[in-house]
Amino acid sequence: MKVSFGVAVAFGLAANAAFAGTLSDGKPHNGASLKVLAVKSSQFEAHEARLADFTNRTGIKVSYTYIPFPNMREALTAEMIGGTGDYDVVTIMDQWVAGMEMLVSPINDGISKHKIDLANYPKAHLEQGRIKGNLVGLPVRGHVQLLFYRADLLKKNSLQPPTTWPQVVSVSKTLAEKENIAGIALPYGKLSGQNLMVWYNLLWGRGGALFDAKGKPAFNTEAGIAATQEYIGFLNKEKITPAGAAGFVEQDAVNSFKQGNSAMLPVWWWVRSQLTDAKQSKLTEDQVGFAPLPSYDGKGSTTYTNTWIFGVNDKSKKKAAAMEFLSWLTDPSLEKDVLLDPKQNEVVAVQFSNLRDAEVNKRWGGMHAAAAKALETAPPMVYGEDWPQVAEVLENMMSSLASGAKTDVKSTLDAAAAEISKFRK
Amino acid sequence: MRDRHLKYALLLPAFLIVMVTTFYPLAYSFATSFREWKLARQREPQGFVGFDNYTRAFTDEHFLGSLQTTAIFVVSSVVATVFLSVLLALLLRRTGSLHTFTRIIIILPFAMSPALIGVSYRFMFNPEFGVLAKGIGAVAPALKDIAWLADPSYAMVVLVLTDVWHWTPYMTFMCMGGLAAVPRATEEAALIDGASNMRAFIDIVLPQMRNVILVVAVLKTIFALKMFDQVVTLTGGGPGRSTETLAYFVFNAGFKWFDMGYASALAYFLTAIMMVVSIWYVRLLLQDRKMATA
Repeated sequence: MKVSFGVAVAFGLAANAAFAGTLSDGKPHNGASLKVLAVKSSQFEAHEARLADFTNRTGIKVSYTYIPFPNMREALTAEMIGGTGDYDVVTIMDQWVAGMEMLVSPINDGISKHKIDLANYPKAHLEQGRIKGNLVGLPVRGHVQLLFYRADLLKKNSLQPPTTWPQVVSVSKTLAEKENIAGIALPYGKLSGQNLMVWYNLLWGRGGALFDAKGKPAFNTEAGIAATQEYIGFLNKEKITPAGAAGFVEQDAVNSFKQGNSAMLPVWWWVRSQLTDAKQSKLTEDQVGFAPLPSYDGKGSTTYTNTWIFGVNDKSKKKAAAMEFLSWLTDPSLEKDVLLDPKQNEVVAVQFSNLRDAEVNKRWGGMHAAAAKALETAPPMVYGEDWPQVAEVLENMMSSLASGAKTDVKSTLDAAAAEISKFRK
Repeated sequence: MRDRHLKYALLLPAFLIVMVTTFYPLAYSFATSFREWKLARQREPQGFVGFDNYTRAFTDEHFLGSLQTTAIFVVSSVVATVFLSVLLALLLRRTGSLHTFTRIIIILPFAMSPALIGVSYRFMFNPEFGVLAKGIGAVAPALKDIAWLADPSYAMVVLVLTDVWHWTPYMTFMCMGGLAAVPRATEEAALIDGASNMRAFIDIVLPQMRNVILVVAVLKTIFALKMFDQVVTLTGGGPGRSTETLAYFVFNAGFKWFDMGYASALAYFLTAIMMVVSIWYVRLLLQDRKMATA
């Protein structure tokens, strides 16, 4: 019997109407009210729209307060310093987690009690919720990088999407010659460490790391120097980037691709919908393809990740109820329900079962399978409490090299490593 | 007697508001500047560290670098703004519908938010589709391929340009006010006696505008010392650290690295510089008044 895709989706949605998270029997927290401090995001709004299910099953009422991203860190800091426990559940971005140790409470026991399957999370996402061995939050929102490319131009010139960084150079040069288009749009300018996000992949691909096991800078090793020379070389030696890329931030690179000025773009997967949006892009669906980020011969694909965790406020007086909510929120069926909701345009998934799900991949053209592949081998970033300062040093280092203010890669990396060693304990 | 009490009672709300919103934060941050307070680890300021936060600044190459950057920015921005303001005030001195219209629309840049100015100029200087980058390239082909915000020197030029564009209208109005107080008769007499327009301006108008120009220069210096918004939205302090001003550096120390003790000490360096400028200005004004009454 042949079942149409639409019927299958409808069946799936009906089956997911009540999310199967392991919630406590007997509504032990009936009547409790929880407050959630969340960053403004359509994904979280989709969760909020489904709260009736949670309230029906637990008797717990939940209200969300949304903060725009640029103000989120200040809001969390105020909550941490105030120590009032105004919010029971908080969302924190990966880079801030280590600096928010006073804000969040370990949830290891709650995870065991609610039988949350940690193996369903990619390590690159899961480890962002860990402080000193304890899990203090679970990933709910996460991004991976993909290589978007001009499928039409590659096909026209009988080229395959590059799987290695050297192939990126050769494909770029061919397209520059035959199509008069810049090869790859990369951001080298300064904004929130965006000029490092592709460089990390070259570093990891060459077997390098930012820090060694003792936390000392390790990016100025041979692998780091080679990765940096190659990354800067795309700009000033191979000249495969658009004019002015030395000052580009991520949005400039995205705009360059959308305007048809660049043939490839390594960027977060959520950008996908922008790339073919007729209101802001010259490109159509059939012109844009995607693949995991390139790596090196014989090496697995890598991706830098961005993760938002949900944790329980250490000062909350309703920690058990908050954990009940986390159990519901992290149920894979809730994530899948949002991914398949035809009214939503939400691509974000952090659980392997959904990343590899056939229905999800059918709706999103296989993007999640590509992400899952990259996440299988992606190393988790380790952010310390001093990460904002570390990122600033690295960002300035890259910007100086890209602008030509500094030309010797080794001495520039050494200077950055020495500066980080001064404040890193 | 009752009137005297009423006077103080009426002053009390304003006094309390100023105390709470100005003096208390100033005193608190001053005390913090002598303590260790790492926001990521400590909910409250910890023990006193004496002058450590202040002495640390003198060995911090990035702080010293930001001082140098700020000095370059302030001098360039103040000189350009004062020059253009006086020039525009002279041009707009005449009457006529075109001049009136120009006087009205010239204020528009000042009405814009500095952060928005930074974002707008960032787009306009984009080498791929920026209208200014393309326009400059069309007028001066030698400048065609310049990535304005990717070069340390040009990025500073663009930063100064945005600030001058923002402040010149307001300062022009101040200069126009000063110019209106200059009696036209003296100037006209000089012109009748054969003096050139330039000579009349230098010998008659400019000396009488001295105080206004001084006010404009001092105010612009103080505003330039606080330059922050456009740095964030236009250059991010880059390329490298080439446009990292002192105010931006203080912000990073406090709200990026969460080092509140050090950030407070740095903020007091900025305050001290502004106080020196203000005191110098007041002394110049007082000196001027003494000369006028002598």
